[in-house]
Formats: sequence, structure tokens, C-alpha cells
Amino acid sequence: MAAQPYGLIATFETAADVYHAAEQVRDAGYKNWDVIAPCPIHGMDKAMGLKRSIVPRISLAGGITGFITGMTLIWYTNGFDYQLIVGGKPLFSPMFAFPVSYELTILFTAFATIIGMFVLNGLPMHYHPVLKYDKIGRGLDDRFFIVIESRDPRFNDANTKALLEKAGGKEITTLEA
Amino acid sequence: MSSHAASAPAALPAESTAAAGATKALVIGLAGIAVTAVGLFVSPAANVALSWLVGITYWTAIAIGMLMMILIHHIFDASWSVVIRRQWEHGLSAFKWLAVLFLPLLITAWTNPGLVWPWMDLTREMHGGHTVGHDVLYIKKSGFLNLQMFTFMTAAFFGIWMFLSWRLRKASFTQDVDGDVKWTLKSRVTAAMGLPLGAITLTLAAIYWVKSLEYHWFSTMYGVWFFANCARGALCMGVVIMVWLLNRGDYKGVLNTNHFHSIGQLMLAFTVFWAYVTFSQYFLIWNANVPEETFWYNLRELNHDGSTNQWWYVGLVILFGHFVLPFVLLLSYRYKVTPHIIRRIAFWVLTIILVDITYNILPVLKDHHGDAAPFFSLNLLWVLSSVVGIGGVCVWSYLRSFPTTKLIPIRDPRIGESPDPS
Repeated sequence: MAAQPYGLIATFETAADVYHAAEQVRDAGYKNWDVIAPCPIHGMDKAMGLKRSIVPRISLAGGITGFITGMTLIWYTNGFDYQLIVGGKPLFSPMFAFPVSYELTILFTAFATIIGMFVLNGLPMHYHPVLKYDKIGRGLDDRFFIVIESRDPRFNDANTKALLEKAGGKEITTLEA
Repeated sequence: MSSHAASAPAALPAESTAAAGATKALVIGLAGIAVTAVGLFVSPAANVALSWLVGITYWTAIAIGMLMMILIHHIFDASWSVVIRRQWEHGLSAFKWLAVLFLPLLITAWTNPGLVWPWMDLTREMHGGHTVGHDVLYIKKSGFLNLQMFTFMTAAFFGIWMFLSWRLRKASFTQDVDGDVKWTLKSRVTAAMGLPLGAITLTLAAIYWVKSLEYHWFSTMYGVWFFANCARGALCMGVVIMVWLLNRGDYKGVLNTNHFHSIGQLMLAFTVFWAYVTFSQYFLIWNANVPEETFWYNLRELNHDGSTNQWWYVGLVILFGHFVLPFVLLLSYRYKVTPHIIRRIAFWVLTIILVDITYNILPVLKDHHGDAAPFFSLNLLWVLSSVVGIGGVCVWSYLRSFPTTKLIPIRDPRIGESPDPS
């Protein structure tokens, strides 16, 4: 296993080149691959076949949790565990529990969003195999790259190389793990 | 990019269809006004007049919202909304007709004071036996609440809205012709002075026209509540127009998912804003629990014998229909960017805004026990005929303005950033 390379990297000159190459890699059915670019490219998510992130769903789950936490917290403390009449109000009413529930909805949504994002994108990441590629610095400046990982089920050294070549990739290089 | 945007709408014969639609809208509007007039012979005059007030408040709210949206657009130097702004500018043409349609209420105020706004009749007997003129709560507020001030203020509201609309429309339409950037800068000045003017006038309009129907009551949230409805009404009307023009082909190649996403996000934001404001008003009154304020909500929940009345259920419909439902639906990205779904949400919100305004106005009609007249009554018909009547005139005004200019402000300096060629 130690000899297994991380994957293949190919260089592209322009955003349009890498955009169309990404479409071909997507259509070839690859899943574990990425595009490295010095700037955002509009429509790249579509060209790569990326689905919408599930972070909004995690946020929603956090929000619902926060709302229920607020309501049950107030009901449990004031309406159930230690019943106390305050200001002639009922022991429990969603009315006065609402501001707290509302705040907790926002707080838990924010936590869920931030944590969900970091869990899903794997940051902070201190090391990545592409950093060993000596020309990767150009990816911060004026070059575009496509990296196809060897763990992709469709990865096959010769075929993948041929695909990248056909898509217009230059300097196709094997990356060490 | 601007040539791309300009070429698409120019090819369409927009003028003839808009003119035909305008005539149809005017006929429907006049029919609605006629039905409302017939109502004067069927129902008590106060019921019909208050229904008319619902209609005029509803459409004025939408027009004010459009005005505020354009002012906000200019103050932020926004780019995404450039292609939508023009439709709101056409909508502003309705202000002069709304002013005309407000006249019957103003004339009624002078010829039959107290019919609509109880405080105008100083001799009206009150619950304790004394009259409005001797009511200390009226005397303290009489500097604001008198017929001369009411008339002057209403004239000033419409005057200011029409003046701001005139400046915005002139700048935008003239820029189409000469392409001079100075019009954009002029609109920015209009926005800087128009936003505080708009905020003050819409707050005072809500207080004079609607809140003063129960002049004993006070709520510092009232103007904000009204603004929230104005903004939501304008955004929803914007969506309805966008989808209409998209389906007709005008906006093809101009609008993309970003426009729907952005306006949908604003709809969501103002949904939360409306809920925050409306809940705050209710919650503070509920929590303080003093009769001077709670009577306003009691009237909308209970009869004098303690049984719940119809307005209690209307209140619940507003809670779930004006906040919960649109909030949950607008959380979805897909719903926001799918034209026919966002339009359905917009239609629903436009409907529930009408219910909200009705809830604030019609319970003023009371029987001899002091109970609010029921929601389901003949009054509802006059509300609908008023809304159709005034709405028909507003749509006619929009459609008449529509063919006089380009579909989008083609020479706006930010036009290239708004329509996406992809």
C-alpha cells in the first residue's frame, strides 16, 4: 500500500480549459477529484457535478434543537421542577419562553453551521499531498490544476492519464501520498 | 453585457399587450369600485368606509414598500436589483391615483366626522357617559388628532411620496435616453433624503389612518409593523411581476437564479422582521398586562361574555400564515429559485397581508355590547370589492407606465453586473 500514489495532477493554462476539462472528468464518472484554481470560477460547481452542500440541513437541525431546548428549559425549570409564580403569569406559557427559544435557535443554528462546515470541509488541514508538487505555487497565481485521487474506484493509472490528456491537461504528474 | 441585456426585450411587442391589459385592469377596478358603492345601500356606511380604508391601506402599503425598496437600492448602490428596480418604478405611478381614491374618506371625514375615525366627532358619547371632547386621552392628543391636521398630514404623505416617486422615475427614465451618470447620483441624493422622509411619513400614515381608529391605544411598534408589511408586499409584488415577465418572455436572458435567490432571501428576512416586530408588540402588552393596552387585543380575542370571537382564529391564521408558513417555505433554496413556487409563496403572503390589515381595522366596528363585528360577514365582501377596485386602478397605472420606457434601465452604470449572461 505504501507504494500507492496519491493521484495524478494535470496543469491547465486558462479557466476555460480547466472548466471544460472538469466537465469531461465529471462525465467520466470520477468522484474523488478536485480542481485547484487561483480564483473562483463561476459555474465550476456545475462543471464538477457538485451537489449543494448539506450544511443548511445541519443548520436547520441545530435551529430546531435550539428552539426545543429553549421551550423545554423554561417549561422544566419554571413549570415543572420548581413551580414559581412570577408577576401573576402562568407557570408556563410559550409567550415568555419565546424570546429565550428564539435566542437559542439562533445560537444553536450558528454553532451547527460553523461546526458542520468545518467537519465537512476537513479544515484546518495542515498537510495535503499536492503540497509536495513543486509547481503547485502556480496554482496561487496563473495556473489551474485537476487532481484525480487514486482512491477513486474508477482510477486506473493509464486510463486516467489518457482522460486528462484528452481533456487538454499538460505536465501530467503522479503525486506521492 | 449591456448589449446582450438590451437586445432581448427590444424584440417583443410589449406595448400592445400591455395596453390591452391596462384597459382590462381599469374595467375590473371600476367594477370593484362600483360594487363597493352599491355596498353603501346594503350595509351601514361605516362598514363600507372602513372596508375601503382596508383597500386603500393595503395598496398604499405595497406602493410605499416599492418606494422604500428603490430608495434602499440606491442608498446601497446595489447591482443585483437593477433589472428589477424598473418594475417598482412603474408601480410608483399609482401614488397619484391612490391619493385620488383616498379622497372619499377625506370628504367623509369632513361631512360626517366620526363615521370612520371616532375621535373626529367630539360630541360622540363614550362608555362612561362623557364625550370624546371631554376625554382626557383625547385632549392630550388633540394637537395631532384633529381634522385639520389629519387632512394636512394625509395631503403631505401623498405629496412627499409623489415627489420622491417623481424624482426617482424622472432620473431613471431620462438615464435610458442620455446615459448620463448624474441621474444615478441624483437618485442617491433622493434616497438619502427619501429614506428618513419615507420612514416618518409611513409611520405617521399608519398612526393616523389605522391606529387612531382606537385612539386610546398606544404601541411604539405600530409604524414598524406597517413598514414590515409594506416591504413584504413590495417584494412579493416584485416576484409576481418578475415571474409574469419571465413567462411572457420579456425577462428571458435577463433574470437568473441569483435574482430569485436574492429577492427570496429578502422575503425571508422581512418575514422574520415582521414576526419580530409583531411578536414584540403582542408580548410587551401581554407581559405588562395593563388594561389601557390589552383592550386592543381583548377586542380581537374575546366577546364581553368571555367567549372567543372569530378574530381570535384570524389572529392564529396570521401567526401561522404570516410567519410560520412563509418562514419554513422560504428557508428552502429550491423554493426560492423555482419561479412558480416562489410566486405561489408571494401570492400567499400578499393575501395574508390583506388579512393582517383587515385584522387591524375592521374590529373597530362594534355592536352595542362592545364586541367586535365578526370577521365572516358582508363586510368581507366590501373589503374584497375595495381591494379589487383600488388594485385594478393600481395595476392599470402600472401597465400604463410599463410601455413608456425600456424593460430594464439599460444605461444604468451597474446594469452589466445585474443580468448574468450565463
